[in-house]
Amino acid sequence: MIVAAFISGAIAAMSFTAAAFFLRFWQKTKDRLFVYFAVAFLLLMVERIMRTVLDMENELAPLVYGVRLVAFLTIIVGIVDKNRVK
Amino acid sequence: MVQIVYILCSLACLLCAVLLMRGYKRSKHELLFWSATCFIILAFANFILVVDLVLIPTGVDLLLWRSCMSLVAMCVLLYGLIFKSA
Repeated sequence: MIVAAFISGAIAAMSFTAAAFFLRFWQKTKDRLFVYFAVAFLLLMVERIMRTVLDMENELAPLVYGVRLVAFLTIIVGIVDKNRVK
Repeated sequence: MVQIVYILCSLACLLCAVLLMRGYKRSKHELLFWSATCFIILAFANFILVVDLVLIPTGVDLLLWRSCMSLVAMCVLLYGLIFKSA
């Protein structure tokens, strides 16, 4: 499905942009939470690219969605870490 | 196995949204609001993923709907990052 692949590409580019923003915020504030966000959005970008490039009918499907899961867990860890530091 | 990963993705994303919204209510930082909104939409997209691939695997393919929702979520986040993060 070419439209879905196009949308995935757009999402990957936007994820990369968001990650770049968060890295810039981290440079300015030195707040670790922004690093967690940047890593998470880079992982979401990788997941989109993997899912579009790889054939999702094969056994790699759990691995690709596993990357997405790790991205969300990174943000949860970041928020918990931020609250713990406070 | 893969179904568990889909469900965990959905739950982790929902938890991210809840934690970010709680953070916004406490600190009133606008960036947290836009991040939380992004994750709420992503949580919906992940919920549709569970419906599409776990609950009704033989039904209509909702890939395009899921992709569009994720695209909207990223647009919301980038709007917040560009215009509301000052």
